[in-house]
Amino acid sequence: MKKSLRRLVLALLLLGGSALAAAAEVQGSTPLPGASIYHLPVTLERVGHGEVPLVSLAGSPVVITMFYSSCLVICPMLTVAMQKTALALDPSQRAQVRFVMVSLDAERDTVAKLADFAADHHIDTDQWVVAHASAGDVRQLAAALGIRYRRLPDGNYSHSSALTLLDARGVPNGRTDDLSAADAALLAQIRALLH
Amino acid sequence: MPSVRPSIVALVLAVVLQVPTAPTDAGERVELPGGEFKPVIVPGPTERSIHVAPFLLDRHPVTNREFLAFVRAKPEWRRDRIAALYADEHYLSRWSGPDDLGPDARAGQPVTDVSWYAARAYCGAAGGRLPRWYEWEYSAAADEKVADARQDPAWRARILGWYSRSAGRPPADVGASPLNAYGVGDLHGLVWEWVEDYAGLMVSGDSRTQGDPDKLTFCGAGALSAEIRDDYPVLMRIALLSSLEARYTTSSLGFRCADDVMP
Repeated sequence: MKKSLRRLVLALLLLGGSALAAAAEVQGSTPLPGASIYHLPVTLERVGHGEVPLVSLAGSPVVITMFYSSCLVICPMLTVAMQKTALALDPSQRAQVRFVMVSLDAERDTVAKLADFAADHHIDTDQWVVAHASAGDVRQLAAALGIRYRRLPDGNYSHSSALTLLDARGVPNGRTDDLSAADAALLAQIRALLH
Repeated sequence: MPSVRPSIVALVLAVVLQVPTAPTDAGERVELPGGEFKPVIVPGPTERSIHVAPFLLDRHPVTNREFLAFVRAKPEWRRDRIAALYADEHYLSRWSGPDDLGPDARAGQPVTDVSWYAARAYCGAAGGRLPRWYEWEYSAAADEKVADARQDPAWRARILGWYSRSAGRPPADVGASPLNAYGVGDLHGLVWEWVEDYAGLMVSGDSRTQGDPDKLTFCGAGALSAEIRDDYPVLMRIALLSSLEARYTTSSLGFRCADDVMP
């Protein structure tokens, strides 16, 4: 009964229904906290997994960033910073955290292109969420994560880079823009969420 | 002559909810022709001008009356129900209640204390979207007579005069000042206005960022540099917008809606 209801809610959501309904369902009877970014009616098109509502990330801590695959300088650093962060955790801790990369480039970063990107960077897209979203959804998600970005005439993006930690219910719990290494403060915040 | 389209949704809302319709021409949308435009913030390192496609823009900022009709129709945007994600604690704080303007918020005043999310939701419900920055800047370059008055020292002085006068005071009602050459009013001197791509405004005042560690926080070509350094009214807008987060609200920040021109 509950499972079929959940399926129905997700189906409605994919048909353009409210993310709030799905959120309430995923969270059981507890409503999402007001500050949760999972209120956003955003759909992610995941490499290897099709369309999922943003709120489907609920349930475990998330480290999320936004990037674009044709970026040559900062985005590879972002990817490495994500990977360093993941590797700094014990395997048992790592298994409890979801790593999420959403492209800012709604136009050019098709799922196929993102799949190539993931393969090039040895990202397991069953473990990590690598996703495309529509331009409108990108704008909302970037706004909620405090990421500023602008498309340049040559197709590149000027954007701020940060890793944001969300708790299991989507409330921002930490953030770093230090891409040089696994950020110690962020790691401590992740570990704190796991206990 | 610019053509005019009434905002049908606002009218329907007003009828359904029996909110008095605006006595002025609030809610009207004007078509602007667009064209080549030299913005204050250049689009890229080598580009100096942009092409603005024809678009529709509200003649005036959205008023308290119009926004009240919206929150009555969509109660999830009431100040007592809105998720904290979508607005800070000052959201609609000039109103006397969640569903009531009260004595401090006149119906004809531009609505202020609204977040980007709320402004965006309103425009979506009204059949449109927020204007993009370049559309706003293009519209605001006009005075009453010419499409681009930005090099006119008298025009600049007038705008700056408005800004210094309006600081800290509740805004006047919309529609009190003359319309510009496009038939759009209140772009200056009343309130600051949200734009859809406020988060695209990242100002680097000069080129000293070379070698600066801050530069690493921006991908691609880095932050943008201001091209026309003495256009203070527009630079003030940019400085404000570049400091905002999507959930912020202030007592002098409102919005108006725009839309694409359907072919």
